[in-house]
Amino acid sequence: MWLQIKALAIKELQIFIRDPAAVLLVFLLPLGFVVLMSYALAEPFAEQRSRQIHLPVVDLDGGPLASKLLAELDQMEAIAVERRFQGQDLNRKSLEHLIAEGDRSIGLVLPAGLSRALRSRAGDPIAVELVSDPALGDQVVEPLLGTIRGLCERLSFQAFTPDRVDSLFERFGGSMPAIALDGIRNKVRTDVLTSLQTPSPVRLMRVAPASMQHVVRPDAFQQNVPGYTLFGIFWIVVLLAESVLREKRDGTFRRLLAAPLSRGVLLAGKLLPYYLVNLIQIALMLAAGRLIFGLDLGSSPGGLVLVGLAASASATGLGVLVAALVRTEAQARNLTILLLLTLAALGGCFVPRFIMPQAMQSAGLATPHAWALDAFQDILVRGQGVVEILPELGALMAFAAVFFLLGVWRFRFD
Amino acid sequence: MAGSDCSCAECASDECLVEIRGLVKRYGSRKAIDGVDLTVQQGEVLGLLGPNGAGKSTTMAVLSTLTSFDAGTISLCGLRLPRDAARVKRLLGIVPQELALYPSLSGTQNLSFFGRIYGLRGRALSERIARVLEIVGLSNRARDPVRSYSGGMQRRLNMAASLLHRPRIVLLDEPMVGVDPQSRNLLLEHIERMRAECHTMIYTTHNMDEAARLCDRVAIMDGGRILAVDTTAELLKLLGSGVIHLACSGQESMAAPLAELESVRSLDTSDGVLRIRVSDTQAALLEITRLCHERSATIHSLEALEPNLESVFLHLTGKSLRD
Ligand SMILES: Nc1ncnc2c1ncn2[C@@H]1O[C@H](COP(=O)(O)OP(=O)(O)OP(=O)(O)O)[C@@H](O)[C@H]1O
Ligand SMILES: [Mg+2]
Repeated sequence: MWLQIKALAIKELQIFIRDPAAVLLVFLLPLGFVVLMSYALAEPFAEQRSRQIHLPVVDLDGGPLASKLLAELDQMEAIAVERRFQGQDLNRKSLEHLIAEGDRSIGLVLPAGLSRALRSRAGDPIAVELVSDPALGDQVVEPLLGTIRGLCERLSFQAFTPDRVDSLFERFGGSMPAIALDGIRNKVRTDVLTSLQTPSPVRLMRVAPASMQHVVRPDAFQQNVPGYTLFGIFWIVVLLAESVLREKRDGTFRRLLAAPLSRGVLLAGKLLPYYLVNLIQIALMLAAGRLIFGLDLGSSPGGLVLVGLAASASATGLGVLVAALVRTEAQARNLTILLLLTLAALGGCFVPRFIMPQAMQSAGLATPHAWALDAFQDILVRGQGVVEILPELGALMAFAAVFFLLGVWRFRFD
Repeated sequence: MAGSDCSCAECASDECLVEIRGLVKRYGSRKAIDGVDLTVQQGEVLGLLGPNGAGKSTTMAVLSTLTSFDAGTISLCGLRLPRDAARVKRLLGIVPQELALYPSLSGTQNLSFFGRIYGLRGRALSERIARVLEIVGLSNRARDPVRSYSGGMQRRLNMAASLLHRPRIVLLDEPMVGVDPQSRNLLLEHIERMRAECHTMIYTTHNMDEAARLCDRVAIMDGGRILAVDTTAELLKLLGSGVIHLACSGQESMAAPLAELESVRSLDTSDGVLRIRVSDTQAALLEITRLCHERSATIHSLEALEPNLESVFLHLTGKSLRD
């Protein structure tokens, strides 16, 4: 039986590699798409990199030091501070809304008591929050964090030192013997020096708007490499359906049915090679992503393998289903291409699902593409492992099983 | 030669043959096969001769286990269908009516694939491939892709593929279809050579020359029924020495006096033509023309049919073998 499956599979692959159009379709088309779309769409993905940053601000402190901080930020060329947006004063909620809606990518919340904390440098550090789209690259956020941290420190020292001196002079009153002056000098010196060693009075925190929590967004290659890989592996649906129809048309299928060969073996020999082609496609695309585009493949090679196996199973399963349903080779080409483009688009292979309206995002869950893409991005973008992608793997295997069972049920052997 | 070189383990009986009794196959309300009885002896080539739609391919499909049947019994080499289908498959070599090959693969790759499906491996496989290529005369083109072959060459490869596993019985379904007349003779020679590999064959055709040349016995089939089965020589005797077709004025009134003529054996009317079986064609032609002259009947057509399978068929069915 295995030898028969092997013979069937090898024959199928021999026919496949003799069809340059098929090889091109399966291996080069997805790669071409990645290159094209990644460079074409590099701008929207990395929008914030070059332009001036519009920084909406909510000042809950209202004190002089907070105002000074904002004034200094606004003076910087790369930053435009906005206290109002479209004529409305900003509050915490409207600021988060701006970011969740994508009108602004990052905003600043200065907490009540900031001025006092900067001046006193006592007690627990106070949190200054940078509210940002989690997808915003570190290359944008880190410099901004650094800038704000530096400004806070400088303002703190400018305020704290005279403040300290004043309070000491107040304490010791008007009588000021020479010996006491030395004491004051020493006291000021030690206070300033110790405060230099105390932790900063502010703690800068990067937070996401409540509605956007825990989402890390992919960059162009993290989107396009897995996206077009998935788009690409589903092309085998066309090839498989055509191969079945061709065998029926050429009569070789009848010859095989007349041979001592069970239908299960016949089907297995038909599917196995396309499953292998899928696995090779995925391996090649990820390797190309790594080597050509420097894509970070995450830390879970086992997870990648599992996603590859499961995604390929769903593609091959769909192949059986389509092969069972289409009647002509023209249908196999045209209808299937339409189906594949629709599934891939809904599943977020071309345009990431997170920028789609909610209804479209939900509809996408009806495609294996969406689950496979999520699983790939959990690993590639979010550094997750096998455990975190179990739901996606389960969904993919369910797709594979349903497609396969329906396909086998409807498959016409004669 | 009978039975002695039977190498198949599946062969349950010593006397390998095909026996079909009362076979019926319906497609909806239409009977594609309507009560067929046939036997094929070990070492025999049986021809199934019939026009389009006679039920030849359906009979072959049933024998090759590809199609179920509605009534009757079939035994092949002592095995019963459909019960023993899996074992029967190993005994059969099938040459489908349509070419059943992978056009983008070479001849050798096609044969190698089909051989492996039948469980051949390694040296045994390559020896069989070499042998069947030799039989069909394609050894020198074996490495070329099949789509570069001529129609006749593809037909030959199609036959070669059925011989790889040394089948006990080869079913050939119109292997000559689409072969140009020049290649026909060559192909017939190759089929004759196939008999050295596999003695028992069932061969369908609607060409009487092929049937007369290749087949030990011919079954004449029409409308899902077998009308006659015999050797070509015996079938020809059905015609006596010949058949004459006559169309003339006042045809109905001519039937009775024609039947009285000395050389006329029997007579009937079909499609507006009098079909006259005669014992001596030359004498009958003279007598018939004389009679028509005496009765002042105008002869529209007078045709003496050669005694061949075509005219036997025409005689049996009133139809031409060709469309
Ligand atoms: N799959 C099918 N479904 C319905 N009817 C069928 C089917 N296959 C054959 N038939 C009918 O059965 C009859 C016999 O067909 P068959 O193919 O056996 O004829 P044949 O003798 O091989 O003719 P040909 O010389 O054209 O090959 C025809 O009337 C045909 O229409
Ligand atoms: Mg036929």
